[in-house]
Amino acid sequence: MMTINVVLVMIIGFAGGLAVGSGFVAFLAVLGIIPRLTQLTKTMKMIHHYEAAVVMGALAGALATLWDPVLQLTPLLLIPLGLASGIFIGMLAAALTEVLNVFPILAKRIGVDGKIAILLMAFVFGKVFGSLFQWIYFVNK
Amino acid sequence: MWEVSVLEKTVYIRLRHRLQIRPNQIILLKDIAQVIADDDIYVKLCALPLYKVNEHDQNIVIIDVMKVIRAITQLFSNLEVQSIGPAQSIVEVVTKKQKVSFPLFLLVWLLLFIGAALAIMNFHEDVSMQAVQLRIYTLITGEVDRKPLIFQIPYSIGLGLGMIIFFNHVFKKRLNEEPSPLEVEMFNYQLDLDNYVALKENKESMKYLDDH
Repeated sequence: MMTINVVLVMIIGFAGGLAVGSGFVAFLAVLGIIPRLTQLTKTMKMIHHYEAAVVMGALAGALATLWDPVLQLTPLLLIPLGLASGIFIGMLAAALTEVLNVFPILAKRIGVDGKIAILLMAFVFGKVFGSLFQWIYFVNK
Repeated sequence: MWEVSVLEKTVYIRLRHRLQIRPNQIILLKDIAQVIADDDIYVKLCALPLYKVNEHDQNIVIIDVMKVIRAITQLFSNLEVQSIGPAQSIVEVVTKKQKVSFPLFLLVWLLLFIGAALAIMNFHEDVSMQAVQLRIYTLITGEVDRKPLIFQIPYSIGLGLGMIIFFNHVFKKRLNEEPSPLEVEMFNYQLDLDNYVALKENKESMKYLDDH
């Protein structure tokens, strides 16, 4: 009975991991962040390494959440880490198709075809402001 | 012997996809199309009037290529007209320079700003961003901090940076020459609108039963 339970749990865990992992990759593929980055940096040939980076990053995240290691390192390490995760989330937010679909319509409605960059900046500053406001003032109120 | 009607000359026209015109202006062939023809008829062809924009017109007029060909063949009966490219031209009647109303623009700007701020806060709550950040802080330093600002402030700046990288836009300056996803999206949207009016406003493009 014990063996069956263990095997069953392993199968369920493996299946869950498979579903979540493929879902994660599909999500990244739909948003098109990786193609956009390769296009900006002109490194199309390195795309396989980027794939590996994503897979290894996801694995590292999984390990960190399940294993709860404590590394006892300097807090200064958190600055580049925070910046990098911010950039990633920023690109996620920018890549959402809803955002991309709303802007052309909005720009046409109020007749600012040429000034769309300024509208974009409203969006960008809004995100930065909202985030700073939340962390500095809003939480633990 | 059978009679061969020899068309003496060929003229090639290519309608422009879209053009802007003032009210009460007469649309000439050279406005609406690129023309390749022999020199002796070229000048006459270019000045061929096709349509006069009148008061009743809305701000979009569709000129079908058939109308253009008809006008040309009326003028020169022995001319073969070869049409290349789009089957209709979208004429936009521009009454006056569209001025952006500044208060409206400001309103939209503020709307986007506040909306974006609220949306990112909702997102952070939704994905338990704070709990994850606290865990990362403990993972790296081994200490517990309720407000790990050393992580959160770079994160917030990176948020804006990431969006700018994605859109490839810092105000007017661009990071490289390629069009940004937003510009492509704007272009696609305009193309969809053009497609719609080209078929919908062109009375010749669809034929319905007139039974209602």
